[in-house]
Amino acid sequence: MDTNLMIQTLQDPLGVPFYPVAFQGLSILTFALHIFFVNLVLGGAIVATWGHFCRDERWKKLSRTLAKATTINISIAIVLGVAPLLFVQVIYDPFWYTSNLLSAWWTIIFLAALIIGALAMYAFYLRRRNQEQRSGVFGLLAVACILFAGVIIHILSMQALLPDQWLGWYVSKLQMNTGGWGLNALKVSRLLHFLVPSILNTGIFLMLYAWFFKPRPGADSAYLAWLAGIGLRMARYAAIATALIGIWWLLELPSQFSFVTDHSLIAGYVLAILLIMVLFKSGETPSPYAPIAGSLSLLTILVMSVSRESLRMSYLKPFGYSIYDYPMTVDWGSTLLFLGTFLLGMIIVAYLLTIAFKAGRGEYMKELKASSES
Amino acid sequence: MYPLFEIPVVGGPILMATIATFHIIPSHVATGAFWITYFIERKALRENRPELLEFLKKLSLSILIFCFVTGSLTGVGIWFAATVLSPRAISGLIHTYVWGWAAEWVFFVIEIVAIYVYYYTFDKISPKIHLRIGLIYAVAAWFSMVIITGILGFMLTPGRWLETGGFFSGFFNQTYWPQLLFRTAMMFAIAGSYAALVAATLRNGGRDTVRRIAGRWGLSGLLAAGVFATWYYMVLPANALENLATIDYVAIMFKLAIVASILLGGYFLLLASGRGRFVNPWIGTAMMVVLFAGIIGGESVREFIRRPYLIPGYMYSNQIIGHDMAAKGIASEAERFTTDGLLPHYPFVPQQLVTVSEENFLAAGEVLVKVECLACHTLAKGGRNALPDILDGLDAESAYYLLDDLSRSYMPPFVGSAPEQRAAAAYLAKIAGGELPNATWVVEGDE
Repeated sequence: MDTNLMIQTLQDPLGVPFYPVAFQGLSILTFALHIFFVNLVLGGAIVATWGHFCRDERWKKLSRTLAKATTINISIAIVLGVAPLLFVQVIYDPFWYTSNLLSAWWTIIFLAALIIGALAMYAFYLRRRNQEQRSGVFGLLAVACILFAGVIIHILSMQALLPDQWLGWYVSKLQMNTGGWGLNALKVSRLLHFLVPSILNTGIFLMLYAWFFKPRPGADSAYLAWLAGIGLRMARYAAIATALIGIWWLLELPSQFSFVTDHSLIAGYVLAILLIMVLFKSGETPSPYAPIAGSLSLLTILVMSVSRESLRMSYLKPFGYSIYDYPMTVDWGSTLLFLGTFLLGMIIVAYLLTIAFKAGRGEYMKELKASSES
Repeated sequence: MYPLFEIPVVGGPILMATIATFHIIPSHVATGAFWITYFIERKALRENRPELLEFLKKLSLSILIFCFVTGSLTGVGIWFAATVLSPRAISGLIHTYVWGWAAEWVFFVIEIVAIYVYYYTFDKISPKIHLRIGLIYAVAAWFSMVIITGILGFMLTPGRWLETGGFFSGFFNQTYWPQLLFRTAMMFAIAGSYAALVAATLRNGGRDTVRRIAGRWGLSGLLAAGVFATWYYMVLPANALENLATIDYVAIMFKLAIVASILLGGYFLLLASGRGRFVNPWIGTAMMVVLFAGIIGGESVREFIRRPYLIPGYMYSNQIIGHDMAAKGIASEAERFTTDGLLPHYPFVPQQLVTVSEENFLAAGEVLVKVECLACHTLAKGGRNALPDILDGLDAESAYYLLDDLSRSYMPPFVGSAPEQRAAAAYLAKIAGGELPNATWVVEGDE
């Protein structure tokens, strides 16, 4: 069976319940949000653990702040990861499932690593809050587990792009390799291009933190200024490193894709350059540039997610696969159910985030004080 | 059909069951616990009892860690486990219910934002707004149950979906309403059990109040669940009831669920009547384990009574599409594979094994047995549900006739051409230590 026929055979005969482009768009959007929080988790865990081992009290305080934030970001990253995981199975089912099956044990180990990593992060945060000994080891464990999980999911994604190699990985002579221990495709430049921005985004997160808490009554402005400076330096170095790794990754891509001139990638270059310019223009104090840098970084990630999708389409085109040809029976009822839920959900989430924002800035304090005095 | 994943000795179902087991409690706690939280917070504000708010802080932190790390990751784990064990079944569900799952995901997002805002804004915002956030969480969590119950019910009774292929035809199936009401009632029982456990770790005066509330909630939930479970039982299809009566494992799990319910009923009664002072964290944990066992029993029954299907009327438990589905233009694979042979249609078969020959029949038989049997069986002696132990010494010809009769049990029929069936029988005889056939019989049959 040739690869094209194999992919057709694997595709789900039930088809999709709406235009595939909708799932593609949602997949890109939710992946971008997911990877942004993954960046914050990995970078947060690394910097928090580093800060724990520093002697400077300010680093220790920074470490506590980031440890707490990272526990929250882990949960958000997990929930946000569910959506792209769902949508990839709708439009790229033959690729995702085959890749998972070839590395079946690793997909399970991936989850175990995440659970251990997340619990270690909580242990790191809570032990330090309660001033217990030997908390650093939990930080190190969290970093190791999260990195390890990142490597596995990267390999699963890469394997999914190489369908002409699947049979070679799975079959040897008369035997099928049903053990599920295969790990067959690793591209270091691509992996690093996902990992190194963790430091960039964590740096921007620290800048945003300083910017956000600066107006709060009783804020420690000297500490916040120091924090913003540290964040800015991290972001600058990591932005340059990410750009260089990006060039390395581009040079390694198959030349027949001509991906250097991909439209979304060009938009990505522009945004990345703008971000670097903002970072170098911003002063080392809590600065109004922080929200601009944060927005630009998020936007760059979104555009890079579009590029990632565009690249996937380039990889799969030679096998005659296009998601736009997926058999479809439009199911308006369930589509409207989702759209209605989505709109309602966004309104509720916006309401909750507004409360969180105001509470963080201490805006309810006066109100509470007045009511307790009365 | 995808590459196969073989787990020696214990088999795939155990992996699935293990992950599901670790998901069941946190997911149910995540759904139920905030109703009781809302109730207690209202009481604390109305009666001005700050010690109850302290309890709520502790409860919500424990929910954060327990449900939103372990619970959500094991939830994703079930997805991954289903992917590596039954990719075509999870694919079928996703291609039918993607918008349902996407809507459920929106509720997850609301839940996670709400619980963090709730936990970190104790004493920082007005009590009225804080209370409202708790309610938002509780309602969102319940709505996630409203959706997933439709998909779970579909896996047992797909209803009119088999004729229309439409989302709602399968969603509002015959077991949907009793199952939703049953799960809603159980949600309160689980919340009661969890609140009683967290209350047992308290040292202050709120402990007895919380215990009584937990007992009342637990008992009411459990009694209502009993009523709805009876309704659920009454609408089960005939083959499910037959499986319940004839498969030993299912009957044991059913009894386990009933015994756990009785024990929990007594526990809740003592708590509700104020005689729950003996409950320390160990006893609270032990009762959570009892609850856990009961849920495993109930969920196992639900999983097993749909045999021989993963999606009844459509896909067998070995992921072969067993019936036509006109609404989607899908033809039965079982029929096609019986006519043309399965091996030419399996994309991951070694090239030399596409056609059964006198040289390759044992290797080809191995592929066929793995494709059709690995979902439930292991292939080495001493393993769980191991074919060599079940078939013990069976010769190839008897194995051939046994394969003919599979569909008379709760197993899917053997699917494949006659030479493929003989090759599978030869391989079964080999692993069972029975007499091997001669190669000509395998390829040409009795003629």
